Amino acid sequence: MSEIRVALAGGAEGFRPGEEVSGTVSWNLEIPPSRLEVRLFWHTEGKGDSDVQIACMETFPDPGREGSRSFRMRIPDAPWSFSGKLISLKWAVEAVAEPAGVAGSAPMVVSPTGREIVIGKPAE
Amino acid sequence: MLARENPFAAARVLKVRYRLDEARWADLIARLESLGMRGAIVGRKGHGKTTLIEDLARRLAARGHSTRLVRLESGRRDLPPEVRAALAGGSPREVFLVDSAGQLPLARRLWLYAASRRAGGLVVTAHRRGLLRTLLRLETTPQILEAIVREVSGREVASFGCSARELHRRHRGNLRDALRELYDVCAGRSLARAS
Repeated sequence: MSEIRVALAGGAEGFRPGEEVSGTVSWNLEIPPSRLEVRLFWHTEGKGDSDVQIACMETFPDPGREGSRSFRMRIPDAPWSFSGKLISLKWAVEAVAEPAGVAGSAPMVVSPTGREIVIGKPAE
Repeated sequence: MLARENPFAAARVLKVRYRLDEARWADLIARLESLGMRGAIVGRKGHGKTTLIEDLARRLAARGHSTRLVRLESGRRDLPPEVRAALAGGSPREVFLVDSAGQLPLARRLWLYAASRRAGGLVVTAHRRGLLRTLLRLETTPQILEAIVREVSGREVASFGCSARELHRRHRGNLRDALRELYDVCAGRSLARAS
């Protein structure tokens, strides 16, 4: 079975804007992909259509059926991770083997405190 | 409940696939082939047309067809330029699947139907019957709504304060709108009541 794993360095999940996120992507695929894309991106989740934006991407051409590579990307200053009743904004690093589209991801939080901002909750 | 926890968030609902068993899929594809790979999926808003055409594209690709799924955003009145170019150039092996083709102006629809005769096929979705033969007319039922609610939330519709029948009727069979109402309920808003 095809599998892609994304591991963030040190098992970190909380990051501050402007920091670097690094880690390792490893894959074991049934069909060798033409390229592997590692994307730092955010997306929204809620009642309506989802917005998605890729902040940074690294491409590994002809990565072979199996292997692992390290990555390092700078996190932009915004937007920050937040969650309210109508919408949540989430960050993640995902790796996608193209053209088959097999993917794996690791969630992360981006905010000045490194914790998700919860809308409607008093600041700690 | 926060949006990321809401079982009726759009991203989770979109993972629910159209409910057709293998026999009905085989019938559908056989009918499409008997119609020369040209047909329309007809149904009202929120009845699963987009989900079905996405799944059909995957099924056709798995059977060796070259497919191109074209999603027309709401209000879009023309085909994307690259699709027009591909159709104008003739793509004898490619099956074009155009979601929401019914929103194209009549002149563009006529052009699409004519140009696609040189392609490997054309499947469209529309709210009502049109120039292409109807491949499948979609209807929804309270039972389908109940099954989807159970799939995404693990709960019965009744646990949200109304019956599946009432919710289905209130939204005139539009499952998307019914699920959005349940999103609001989970977000802490009260359930709308039939007038």
